[in-house]
Amino acid sequence: MSRAFTLSRIRPRPGPQGGLTWALIILVGFLTVCPVVMLVLGSFSTGLEAFGSLTLAKYIEAYTDPALAAIILNTVVFTVGSAAVATVLALFLAFLNTRTNIPFKSLFGIISIIPMMIPHILFCVSWALLLNPSNGLFNLLLRELGLSGAAVNIYSMPGMILVEGLLDLPIAYLILAPAMSAFDVSLEESSKVCGASNLRTLARVTLPVLRPAILAAFILVIVRSLASFAVPAVLGMPGRIYVLASHIYRIIATGFAADYGQAAAVGMSALSASIVLIVIYRRLTAAGEKFVTVTSRGYRPAVIDLKGARLPLCGCVGLISFVLIVLPVAVLFYVSLLPYSMVPSAKALGFMSWKNWLSVIRDPVSFLALKNSVVLGIGGASLGVVLSIFVAYIIVKVRTRAAGVLESLSFLSFSFPGIVIGVGFMWFFVLTPLYATIWALLIGYIATYLPYGIRPLTSAFVQIHSHLEESSRVCGAGTLLTLRRVVIPLLVPGIVSGWILMATMFVRELTLSVVLSRPGTEVIAVQILRYAEDGLWGRLSALGIIMIIISTALVAVASFIGRKFALTERG
Amino acid sequence: MEIRITRLSKDFASEGKRIHALAKVDLTIPANQIFTLLGPSGCGKTTLLRCIVGLEAPDEGEITIGGEVVWSGARGVFVPPEKRGLGMVFQTYAIWPHMTVFENVAYPLQARKRPREEIRRMVMRTLERVQLVGFENRPATKLSGGQQQRVALARALAAEPKVILFDEPLSNLDAKLREETRKELRRFLTELKITAVYVTHDRVEALSLSDAIAVMKDGRIVEIGDPHKIYFDSDHRFVADFIGRANLIDGRVAAQEGAHTRVDSVIGPIACQLRPQLVAGSPVAVCIRPEFIRVAARAQDTEGGANRFRGRLESLVFVGEAYEGEIRVGDQRLIARIHPAAALVEGVEVEFAVEPEHCLALSH
Repeated sequence: MSRAFTLSRIRPRPGPQGGLTWALIILVGFLTVCPVVMLVLGSFSTGLEAFGSLTLAKYIEAYTDPALAAIILNTVVFTVGSAAVATVLALFLAFLNTRTNIPFKSLFGIISIIPMMIPHILFCVSWALLLNPSNGLFNLLLRELGLSGAAVNIYSMPGMILVEGLLDLPIAYLILAPAMSAFDVSLEESSKVCGASNLRTLARVTLPVLRPAILAAFILVIVRSLASFAVPAVLGMPGRIYVLASHIYRIIATGFAADYGQAAAVGMSALSASIVLIVIYRRLTAAGEKFVTVTSRGYRPAVIDLKGARLPLCGCVGLISFVLIVLPVAVLFYVSLLPYSMVPSAKALGFMSWKNWLSVIRDPVSFLALKNSVVLGIGGASLGVVLSIFVAYIIVKVRTRAAGVLESLSFLSFSFPGIVIGVGFMWFFVLTPLYATIWALLIGYIATYLPYGIRPLTSAFVQIHSHLEESSRVCGAGTLLTLRRVVIPLLVPGIVSGWILMATMFVRELTLSVVLSRPGTEVIAVQILRYAEDGLWGRLSALGIIMIIISTALVAVASFIGRKFALTERG
Repeated sequence: MEIRITRLSKDFASEGKRIHALAKVDLTIPANQIFTLLGPSGCGKTTLLRCIVGLEAPDEGEITIGGEVVWSGARGVFVPPEKRGLGMVFQTYAIWPHMTVFENVAYPLQARKRPREEIRRMVMRTLERVQLVGFENRPATKLSGGQQQRVALARALAAEPKVILFDEPLSNLDAKLREETRKELRRFLTELKITAVYVTHDRVEALSLSDAIAVMKDGRIVEIGDPHKIYFDSDHRFVADFIGRANLIDGRVAAQEGAHTRVDSVIGPIACQLRPQLVAGSPVAVCIRPEFIRVAARAQDTEGGANRFRGRLESLVFVGEAYEGEIRVGDQRLIARIHPAAALVEGVEVEFAVEPEHCLALSH
């Protein structure tokens, strides 16, 4: 008790924190705004070599293309259709989970996290393997049973909508399930007291009250499907069904000369559409907070007894999880062992071998892609999480006006379609020595996926109430001991989940990579797309399974280190 | 340990305005007493507590704990909270969710680098004291609100500090549990012979728990005294009004008459407890607590003496242990507690009397 300290020790220090806030605003601002600015400038330029000489030619060229009307129509049908599929399914699942006595509720948790497990491109490929018109396994099976021609064609608009809807189902579910469980049951109870049936209550009270959440889910899925590249590339392009994302890809990746100016001009519409939708989404969720009644009294929503419908409905959920999780992996694994597609049979068993796996590992390009993706996953996620820690700290704990600016900036990239941002970054990187290096991908990845790192860390910081730190000080612990024993252990779960989210996103990244990846900087997902375009299904499947193994290994290692760290720090 | 606070000031900037959270507060908290800082929200009581514990730095003044200066604006002394050797129970309990009950309580001892065996012994003794033996390996978040509160108390006491501070520790408990915990806490702190500084806005809590109460308003201490003094013999209108239900009747001091101070009020002359410092003619409010208004069952029943009034019983509400009546005298309405056996009905004329020692003339 005898050591006295000078006053400056505890006076609020606006200097360093304000400085940190502004440094982060500049850094995050650069990462998110730079590609947009470059996209706008690029769309008015004549070409990558002639950057800066202004012209409207690219817009005229892009928007007088006679095919564009059909592409835009396709885009609207595709995005709205998949949003409808995802929202209806998510509503169904969220209702069953939060409001009924359906068995095996743990399944729902699994459904909400599979997008982290199975990369979108592999999901699309497995559907193509099952249902493509020439040699899809399911179609082959039907043919053996005597049906002629292709019974089910996944290379079609309904096929694309179905697959995209399933892919975006978890996002819609993650928005709807909390809203559904926070629902004030007394609203429904009073409807029933008024004499309304269960069904009538659902239609007249439950759904209208949840409308903001439903609309928010719907719009977010539209934004995601607008940005989606895997489905349009793997399922749309073989059937010549183009949407904006694949149209942009066609402009820069196929034909004789890649036209980045025209791609930027087309990208401007996708970008503006996304931004408008995200603004609407933000409005809705802000209004939704007023609308949805969250009770703090620890109310458990009343559970509806499904009676006889329990098992059939449970079967439905089981089927959805099977289709979402087991089927894709099983199909990929099966195909990876075969020289060409064939229906499971004794004959197929005889053909099975590890040949595809060996040729993937021996193929120098595939091997390079694997190496690059692992490096990007581990390095990128580590850098990204460090940045996220600082950003989340400023957003949650500093709360100045500048911190608000930082928050908006850091979530901005969430609304940008990856391929469009890729084109914007392309315009930037050609001006720098970073072009065609792995650093270009690293910077692009962190810029695009920053919200995935920040989200878990902000909730971790929110959890650390200032009293938790203060009580440690009063207990006799200095700043360092408080950091080591209280702050960091509470932060570790957030750091681990932020790292896992970013690392898995980076390992499977496709949309940004198809634009930025050059010979020498191939990554797994791009290599998978090449295999798909060449119809090398066996190798593709082997590479895909390797990709899943890498992701899973990263998740396992990160969780292990996190747990270990938590244990040693408890002292 | 005695805590001495001299001319302590702290300003906050809020929405462009400067707010005096503490305005030149002088206060001495005697050793081994339960001392309560009571006041409405925003009166500066929590700021004062946080200055004592070291989580907040005042702008000016001096704080001495047990003879050691822990803060002095003029001399530039600031002892950080971890060097002050105090214990504190937070309003949110601030139980660390990643630690077990044992780890939470052992923390202050570990921070003081006590040997392992001693830590184990002291933690178990403290847990026994708060009746949490058997819970030591439970994750701290898997406890009820009352148990968490006791963990927070155990943690604050574990290192046997000479001073313990409480920041509204009971406000998150439900009413019944709050009452029980209050009694337990009182017994406990008296046994321990420890200086306790207790912040609350709950008057019942303050009255039942404290050896002394300081009532605060707008960053100043209005009045200090033991619970009886604060409740029955307060010197300030604000304090009398804040500490309990009070009828406040406006008037002017008429004269000092022997054992009483006479006030001419809107309901007539009232003989009040003697307040010789009041000058005749100065405006005052007469405070009468509802329980001291004796209403006669029949108009003739009040014995002779001072302070007899007549009024109309406007309303009569049964509140369980008594009736609560509203009596109108002229334009003044008075709340009175009426014995449940009284045979009265709404609308009747009643006569009531108040003893002069229960009529407090308070300057504004």
